[in-house]
Amino acid sequence: MMHKKTPLTWRKITENRLFFPLVALFLILLFDFIFIPGFFAIENRDGNLYGSLIDIMRNGSTVSLLAIGMTLVIATGGIDLSVGAVMAISASVAGILMNPSALKSEVFFVTDPTYTFQPLWIVIGVALIVALFCGMWNGFLVAFMKIQPMVATLVLMIAGRGIAQLITNGLRVQITYKPFSYIGQGWIILPFSLYIVVFVLIVTSLLTRKTAFGLFIESVGINFRSSFFSGIKEKNIKFTVYALCGLCAGIAGLVACSNVKTSDANNIGLFNELDAILAVVIGGTSMSGGRFSLVASIVGALVMQAVTQSMYALGVPPFALQAIKAVVVIIVIMLFSEQFKGFVRNLGAKKKEVKP
Amino acid sequence: MIRRISNFISNNRRFIPLSATALLAIIAYGLGAIFFVGMRNPQVFLNLFRNSSYLLISAVGMTLVIISGGIDLSVSGIVVLTTVVSAALLQNNWNPWVVILFVLVMGMSLGAIMGSFIVYLKVQPFIATLAGMWFGRGLSFFISDNAINIDDRTFKIIGQTRILIPGLKELADRQGIPAPYISIPVLVAFLVFLVAFYLAHFTRFGRTIYAIGGNQQSARLMGLPVNRTLLQVYTFNGFCSAMAGLAFALFVSSGHGFYAPGFELDVIASVVIGGTLLSGGSGYVVGTLFGVMVLAISQALIQFIGSLSSWWTKIVIGVLMLSFIGVQALLANRKVGIKALDAQAVRQNRKKFALGFSAVVILVILAILITPKLGLFSPSSTTETQQCEVKPFRKDEAASLIEGGAVIAYHRLAGPNCVDEMYAIYPDGLVLGDNGERQLEKMVTPVDVELLLKTITEDYKWYGNEIRDSYHVPCRQCFAHYVIVAHDDKVKGTTAVDGGVNMPPEYGFTLSVIRPLLPEFNLSP
Repeated sequence: MMHKKTPLTWRKITENRLFFPLVALFLILLFDFIFIPGFFAIENRDGNLYGSLIDIMRNGSTVSLLAIGMTLVIATGGIDLSVGAVMAISASVAGILMNPSALKSEVFFVTDPTYTFQPLWIVIGVALIVALFCGMWNGFLVAFMKIQPMVATLVLMIAGRGIAQLITNGLRVQITYKPFSYIGQGWIILPFSLYIVVFVLIVTSLLTRKTAFGLFIESVGINFRSSFFSGIKEKNIKFTVYALCGLCAGIAGLVACSNVKTSDANNIGLFNELDAILAVVIGGTSMSGGRFSLVASIVGALVMQAVTQSMYALGVPPFALQAIKAVVVIIVIMLFSEQFKGFVRNLGAKKKEVKP
Repeated sequence: MIRRISNFISNNRRFIPLSATALLAIIAYGLGAIFFVGMRNPQVFLNLFRNSSYLLISAVGMTLVIISGGIDLSVSGIVVLTTVVSAALLQNNWNPWVVILFVLVMGMSLGAIMGSFIVYLKVQPFIATLAGMWFGRGLSFFISDNAINIDDRTFKIIGQTRILIPGLKELADRQGIPAPYISIPVLVAFLVFLVAFYLAHFTRFGRTIYAIGGNQQSARLMGLPVNRTLLQVYTFNGFCSAMAGLAFALFVSSGHGFYAPGFELDVIASVVIGGTLLSGGSGYVVGTLFGVMVLAISQALIQFIGSLSSWWTKIVIGVLMLSFIGVQALLANRKVGIKALDAQAVRQNRKKFALGFSAVVILVILAILITPKLGLFSPSSTTETQQCEVKPFRKDEAASLIEGGAVIAYHRLAGPNCVDEMYAIYPDGLVLGDNGERQLEKMVTPVDVELLLKTITEDYKWYGNEIRDSYHVPCRQCFAHYVIVAHDDKVKGTTAVDGGVNMPPEYGFTLSVIRPLLPEFNLSP
């Protein structure tokens, strides 16, 4: 706010948190623009928009949701490896609540699109509460038992998928209930899941920027001991952050399983925790905690999804894609290294000197 | 006396996690031996090593990485890359020894590259090795989409040579049972283990690793070669991963990018269960050996119990990890607690702990109360808890159905009602079902059958390598399936079981499209 009147200089722009993620996104889209004809085409079908760009946002919505929660956790200097497993748990709970007959396997197939065992609000509510409890469990281990975040969440990462399979008895539960599939497949001009992301983003932003909560998170991340001595209840902050992360993972799980109409405890959210962490890192939040930006993390998630989508468009087989993703990640991380950032900033500074 | 014991314990506090793991391994095996006669067989004991040789190799390397304060997620990537590269090179008639040398060098250089990213570019170990994992897995799919078989003679010899144990052989001869044996990968695993043990505890390199893990900054100020040592540690782990990949390739005698999913988690879990702190600077290579044993024994126990499904392994590993971490946290907190916390803080801590604990208890009680109300467990499935005796598949009968003109023959066994049903789908839309007591008939349209076959063979790639046999003893409520599909002069039958982690996704989809066409046996109550 203070610098509002000073003119935008190169240095100011490059110091903005959104600058590097946006540059990365821009570079990838530029690549698409040159090499993939029709990548930017957007189709209007019955008033709804379709196209590769829309697909990036739609398919990136689960990772975006995870990235929101993960940003808060990483900002406190922690990490949550269990989000993928929590996604699977919430998806399994939702699947079982809608189609418990899948367990009795005589009527394996419910094809009636209006059938659900429990009403939708109970399905979503219970799934989210279970996810919240998973998050609270992580928070309890990290904040009150003082276990390292990586280890504490690793427990749920390993056991969680087993628990999810326990809930569904190891079966893939088909979900045919129409209103539920709207979460991941519905469109109101833009994909419905996008609105969920925006909603969660706005709520979290308000929570962190309009209250002192965000400040507390950053201070805990920078130095939890000194925040404790300055009267911040750092344990409660940590606990809340992990609980929120679990909740976000629960929402992401619902979106993911409604997208494929199956709650598959084995595959839902597999490796998504890694995508989410990378999205946060690309968004410029330091893994050691401190300042964070939710929007930058979402841009990070979009960068990851844009890479995936453009490789699909180029015809790279889905599993081989990981190798390319790894290379892109390394390049992006190198772009973000302090050495390179300093180099770019000096570049701008030199230009400014020449100018007058 | 008690004082001396407590003194002894507090002096050797650092050995507590290690000895707890060792004790657990022994108790778990002892319990297994008491309840299951099969567990007493020396071959079963040696199989624990045979089945986890690659896990041990990889975990040993990981121990050093974790002691140095880092983490390496790339192990499963390097393992699958090794299996695929060695299979592909052997297919091109490379000399097997050159192949082995090549993949080991490849693993080491991948480790060194990740190490230099971590050391010189200050990339977080987590991120750098994560990229390594993706790179390894992705590259395997670039090399081959499908599984490549290894049928090289040298590899077969290395993989199948039986090494008899001198003492046990005579014992087995006297009892008249086949002599128990181990395989060459087990020997290699122990060799790697001994080397790492020597490196970690008896060399300057090892002491430097501990120093770096304790505090990297002070290690640097002490003048220790931090960068070089870290680089060496990651290179060594790359070597171990490649070695584990070779052992794995010998174990399954093929290579594919899908193998060993989540392998890095098993590796990290066995290191943590072995008493090594993930924060670095503390831990023992011997502990890792016991950690691997605990994992192997719990897996074996779950197999022996039989009615438990394979996913229980994951839950057990999670719970084990949690309890070990809990022990460590308790030990660590107590050390700090005496110094830093005053009485009030301790009381407050206890209050919070009690709150958290009671929350968990309430949660569990709620779960127990709510679950039956959700109607998840219908009376038919709760009363029928006896284990179904699973018969073998009648593959001949299914094959004769195919010869009789059927395009799909589907044999389904077990399940909650212990069924034994054989279905056949004919191209003219006739569907026959036979559950041993009754025969059912159903007519669908020929178009449906056409569409079904098209979906199965084209969308779900029935004749592809991804659809493979994945039969194991099914869990209590699970079905075992055997499906033969005949289409375009190609016939392929594949077995699978519900509930396991092994069933290929496309197999599940295939079952889900076949099932709506089948006639239903209404089981009379």
